[in-house]
Amino acid sequence: MMMMMSKYQHLYVVIEHEDGVPVPVSLEMLGEARRLMDGFNRKYSSDEKVVAVVLGHNVRKLCEELIFYGADAVIYADSPELRYRRNLIDTKVISQIARSREVAAKFSDTLEFVKPRYMFFGADSIGRHLSSTVLAELESGLASDINKLVIEDLEIKHEHKTKGQAIKYEKTLEMYRPDFSGFLWTTILCLDNRNPSNEREYHPQGCSIIPGVFAPIEPDKSRRGQIVDYVPEFDEHDLRVRILDRKIVKSAVDFDSHKAVVSFGKGVKDSPEQNIKMLAQLAKEIEAEVGISLPISKKPFPVSEGINSTYMIPDRVIGTSGRKVTPLVYIAVGISGAMQHIAGMKESGFIVAINPDENSPIKDECDMFIKGRMEDVIPLLLEELRKQRPTIEVKK
Amino acid sequence: VLTTRTTTTTNDLSVAVIVKLEPDFSEGNVSYNADGTLNRAETKSILGPHSAIASYAAFYAKVKYGARIAVGTMGPPIAESALQQAQLLCDADELHLYSDRIFAGADTLATAEVLKAGISKVEGDGKVDIVFSGHRASDGETGQTGAQTAWKLGYTFLGNVIDYNIDLQSRFVRAKRLISLQGFYDIIEEVEAPLPVFISIDPSYKALFNTVSQRLAFEKYQKEAKSRAENYKQFLKVLNTQQLGIDPKLVGLPGSPTIVYKVERIPKAKASRKAEVIDGANHGQLATVAANLYEVLGGMVIK
Repeated sequence: MMMMMSKYQHLYVVIEHEDGVPVPVSLEMLGEARRLMDGFNRKYSSDEKVVAVVLGHNVRKLCEELIFYGADAVIYADSPELRYRRNLIDTKVISQIARSREVAAKFSDTLEFVKPRYMFFGADSIGRHLSSTVLAELESGLASDINKLVIEDLEIKHEHKTKGQAIKYEKTLEMYRPDFSGFLWTTILCLDNRNPSNEREYHPQGCSIIPGVFAPIEPDKSRRGQIVDYVPEFDEHDLRVRILDRKIVKSAVDFDSHKAVVSFGKGVKDSPEQNIKMLAQLAKEIEAEVGISLPISKKPFPVSEGINSTYMIPDRVIGTSGRKVTPLVYIAVGISGAMQHIAGMKESGFIVAINPDENSPIKDECDMFIKGRMEDVIPLLLEELRKQRPTIEVKK
Repeated sequence: VLTTRTTTTTNDLSVAVIVKLEPDFSEGNVSYNADGTLNRAETKSILGPHSAIASYAAFYAKVKYGARIAVGTMGPPIAESALQQAQLLCDADELHLYSDRIFAGADTLATAEVLKAGISKVEGDGKVDIVFSGHRASDGETGQTGAQTAWKLGYTFLGNVIDYNIDLQSRFVRAKRLISLQGFYDIIEEVEAPLPVFISIDPSYKALFNTVSQRLAFEKYQKEAKSRAENYKQFLKVLNTQQLGIDPKLVGLPGSPTIVYKVERIPKAKASRKAEVIDGANHGQLATVAANLYEVLGGMVIK
């Protein structure tokens, strides 16, 4: 079949890994990319690819694995200089790859290829900045912290983009991001300027994707794809940015090795200092780590310095702006249940909510809803927990 | 071919901070609509908390290296209050407000274009050694603007910086970065880079002043900052598109690749669990909760 030629083709997914072990968001992005492009190719009778971009050293096995996880092709830049992430050289190498018709020609018929159509990055401490600099270099648009993606043909009427005329934009990526409140969803589009007085093309349509949102596909070892070796070129001056040392540290807040998590939200506000101390007792009683909802990390109440620096910190945030946790027991205290928080705890084993408002969304996400003010409920619950405590068995 | 670059012999250090005026999310100042969304009209504005941390990080360079500090922000005239608050924190020598009606509605790329032009207007021909920014704004929360400004400036970008020191002789920075990846361990990375660099400061950054002379300098500059901030207008420059020498097609809405297509309430998800409702004042019912918790947790380990 004769393919429609286009300057912008394929979906490039920038993979993150540690010495060849993929960071989970990488496989999640590939899964979503696979689903989107399967739908895209059916709808438009085309054959555009999901292309994984890997920077690293001696990680060919990872490249093969990425094909099992949904990539049609993998572009692999292998160099000792690329073992660990450095924004400056990584941005340049990825941008060279994104602009290379020669590379794209290895896995597709791309006479007209200029740049990728879409580009995905992970929304974490690496991908957030890498996506920013790569899209600045490629002079196109970027949406951050995305948790839903749709490809559509849209009729757009915009003061600047179309000078008020209705124009159809084909194959537009609708990028949904939850806002800081967790109650609103904003759809971002990256659109060419088709205003005659200021015409400009913006591709790729880029985004960073929240870890833990999308599911990877079941790996299929029979999948075949092409691994394209890319030989990167470095500017000597750029190599003066050097990594001197890397230390692996356990996060000060450790959700993973606790069986239970007790989290609190804005509901502590009537007497934050005492309520947080009481919560901490509850957490101690069941050996739980303490989590918070996003608004708490913005330090909305005055509390003592100790409470402030121990509890009201970004490291404890559970949700799409923080960590995703899956403890056996999750107790949400004074948390209303914004989607952004729910996404980070809904896979917990047994969920208890303590909340005076039976209409708050958290009620639909828990197994037991204790109706009442935390000031009243927690002391009673502690009492009951202590009464039953003697039935402890000692494990070896 | 290795190109040799002439190194400056000066020990001077020029730093800039880019900041943002943001909604004040603290209790009593923030106002929410009935549907849980932010009521912007009723919410006060302050220097964003991450901008404040970036200002502290710049102040560290003043105390430790005697750096000259410029603070810049893009926004409407009211945004100068963010500059005043930042000056109080870092004893800035120069304040910039980049303000023009055509900047409104800018996405991160178009904002970065303005900030890049602004940095080039810092006294001393825009030769800034380090630009600081916060981790992200607490309203937009993209965390992109700093990195994009860095790229447009041609500065090495260092993100999530928790500590930094400068070697004024060699003109190198040494920084520690905190890297956290979901589903992985955290990494503290130590990196060195030649100046100029752009540093985005991690929320956990804390400046430490170890020596007596540093503590004395700290007090001296803090005092100076207080009196300067009281007269901040003396330090303030307001610059528009023309004064910044910007192509109007690259800023504001015309210069933004992205648009906000729609804003909607996130639909309420289908109830994923069926909750048993417990009366929080009923001992018997709470005893059941306690029993359930212990059952799920299994034998608690005694240490």
